[in-house]
Amino acid sequence: MKRNLLIGGTFVALLVALGLAQSVVQRVAAAQAQNGVMAPRFEVDPTFPKPLPDGMYQGQTIGLWVDAQDHVWIVHRPDVLDAAEGASSQTPPTGECCNIAPPILEFDQAGNLLRHWGGKDGPGWQWPDSNHGLNVDNKGNIWIGGNGAMDGHVLKFTQDGKFVMQVGKKGVTRDSLAQDHFFQVAKTFFYGPSNEVFVADGYGNRRVAVIDAESGKMKRFWGAYGKPPDDKAALAQGAYDPTVTYQHFRGPVHCADVSNDGLVYVCDRTSNRLQIFKTDGTFVKEVYMARDSRADGAVWDTAFSRDAQQKYLYVADGRNQKVRIFDRQSMEELTNFGKGGHYPGEWYSLHNIATDSKGNLYTVETYQGRRLQRFLYKGIGPVRAKQQGVPWPQGK
Amino acid sequence: MPVPRRVVYCSLLVLVGVIAVQYEAATQGGGSGPRYQVDPWWPRPFQNQSWVLGSVTGVTVDAQNHVWVVHRGADSLETNEKGMMLTPPSATLCCQAAPFVLEFDQKGVLVSNWGGPGQGYAWPQSPGGLSVDAKGNVWITAAGLEAPPTTPARGRGDAVVGEAPAPAAGRGRGGPPPGPPDAHVLKFSRDGKFLLQIGAPGKMEGPDSQTTLNRPSAVAYDAAANEVFVADTGNRRIVVFDADKGMYKRHWFAYGEKAAGAAPTAYTPNDPPAKSFRDVTCIEIARDGQVYVCDRSSNRIQVFRKDGTFVKEGVVSKNTLGATVTGQFGVVSSHGSAWDLAFSSDAQQRYVFVANGHDKKVHILQRDTLTPVGTFGSGGRYPGQFLAVGSIAVDAQGNVYTGEQHHGKRVQKFVQR
Repeated sequence: MKRNLLIGGTFVALLVALGLAQSVVQRVAAAQAQNGVMAPRFEVDPTFPKPLPDGMYQGQTIGLWVDAQDHVWIVHRPDVLDAAEGASSQTPPTGECCNIAPPILEFDQAGNLLRHWGGKDGPGWQWPDSNHGLNVDNKGNIWIGGNGAMDGHVLKFTQDGKFVMQVGKKGVTRDSLAQDHFFQVAKTFFYGPSNEVFVADGYGNRRVAVIDAESGKMKRFWGAYGKPPDDKAALAQGAYDPTVTYQHFRGPVHCADVSNDGLVYVCDRTSNRLQIFKTDGTFVKEVYMARDSRADGAVWDTAFSRDAQQKYLYVADGRNQKVRIFDRQSMEELTNFGKGGHYPGEWYSLHNIATDSKGNLYTVETYQGRRLQRFLYKGIGPVRAKQQGVPWPQGK
Repeated sequence: MPVPRRVVYCSLLVLVGVIAVQYEAATQGGGSGPRYQVDPWWPRPFQNQSWVLGSVTGVTVDAQNHVWVVHRGADSLETNEKGMMLTPPSATLCCQAAPFVLEFDQKGVLVSNWGGPGQGYAWPQSPGGLSVDAKGNVWITAAGLEAPPTTPARGRGDAVVGEAPAPAAGRGRGGPPPGPPDAHVLKFSRDGKFLLQIGAPGKMEGPDSQTTLNRPSAVAYDAAANEVFVADTGNRRIVVFDADKGMYKRHWFAYGEKAAGAAPTAYTPNDPPAKSFRDVTCIEIARDGQVYVCDRSSNRIQVFRKDGTFVKEGVVSKNTLGATVTGQFGVVSSHGSAWDLAFSSDAQQRYVFVANGHDKKVHILQRDTLTPVGTFGSGGRYPGQFLAVGSIAVDAQGNVYTGEQHHGKRVQKFVQR
């Protein structure tokens, strides 16, 4: 009896102690959340953009940029609509919906579709077989790449769709040492201080290439760790093994974005890593994320926060469907948000990200996602969870 | 001659007006009927950040105004969408299929979930519609995979055309699941306890069978007689059973015929109406006791009395044809304009909402005349747009819920404006 009481008493005391300990842990966690890590906060905005007019239907969306007027430009693949989606475009039409939207679409801040063009060859230029990547330079010109089986070029147009320049050409093959063409370019990035365009080259080639923005002349290129690219060695690396440090880009080399302080952030998508370089190609460091990811990889695109220091780097993880927020100095991941799915704040295959002058974040999805979405910037705040999920507005 | 400024301004105004009307038309078809807009904040994201919806084949609202959803789960997800379910996994955080049956409250919060194989019953290869009866029990049809293309009949579940599934094709790896084809209806308690199965997979004894079904697409419950009405797609008929025992009561064919007619040929707009159902994919009973049935790729609705007496028929979208496309999870059928229907919530049920999956919109018909009075929605992936909208339901307040098949994979809510 006495013994039972003793056991019972000990048990109660233990429970009380556990409870106290737990409440202390909770309080410490709350304090850490409030006084600890801070990061940009976002809320999904499902009102942007407005549905496309005239029954236009958007295909796989594989390029995104925000211009100086905060207009949002995207490039998509109208030709991927299947017979059920493009029923009204069949011969004969099998239904009332949908009409094919031109590949280049411009939206204003209210989400209205403005200019829309592209899709055809013209005198002096070849439209890519498979659109890929979009960037706007300091003169407002639109740059696109292409990752079709024949695509070895980048194209430069005015915002009205007037042809300006083609660098490279269609019908080439893999050659990461080529001076006059690319192979299956994923993305271009205009860098103002040197008036250069950094080319993520790409799906076929395994390099970063830098060209002059006016002449298109090749200035330099490099492979992983800043070494000369070696296609043969890159292709011989075999199936992905998360324990291996790959000496060559596995590719696709899917982004090559340059920060204001002159660091080039290169997405080596299926290696699940960013490699960071100086603009001359000197290797600085590499950062892995979700290293056990397979298939199409975790590192798809990057974007910078819009403060002068570009304190934060956003990374699109189209395999786990997350936007990861890094402190750019330490390259520590502070938090991530988003989720897989087809609802607002969710992604199917998160392909590109970009920011506007207010710090709002835009995303586009490829494959069966096919949307442009906006996430409103809500200032810097305490990080309450490593994985935030869908950034649902408070009160909704 | 200089153009007067007023004329320029007037022209500009007209132009702006035209653009505004065009934009409106993309989301709202106009007409004299009620108007709807999407509520993009419904449902709330799943608490489980790794869950995603597959192809949604059924949506209904119960007496508590809760919204019930059934979807195809992993079999309808592409490998990109189910990285966590692969061997080895291609991703650790995203995604895996949410449970098959989901119950949402009015706020869009997931309040219960269940579904999948269990003791004493066969979970469908592909579910079709679901319905919650007056006792709160949940009925789900096993709408199954598409018959070979020579047969015009198609189920409401994501139809997968083609050869018999290879034995190696396992669940969750894409491709058609193995096993005998769907031919049954299941009844569960609202917490997922198995209660009754009518018919059995692989057992199809033809259109006059009193015990077997053939890829049924939908059920409707009649509380007055405690009967369950089944849209028996593969048998081109409506068949009625006792809702507790599953005993056969009666059946009828298109136009209330008592004899199964020949299977119609593929739909063409200018042919006389087919004498048989092509693919009867929905069934709903109105408060006045009339039974409404969708004949999907015939683009029509037929109305009956509960005893099977034919009342009338109406055409939804005469010119709609269809397409059969190959996806990663099989060959997907998108045919016709009458995929599912629901009644408005007013006492008279003045309107019928018809989900038109191929044209990617919802039609609003006046119920007494089946006259079109408006549409809403357009094709696309944005909130308020549709891909293959194949299921529809209305709650007590008149809000409309839609479910999308194929790559749509959403349940959306529309509110009157």
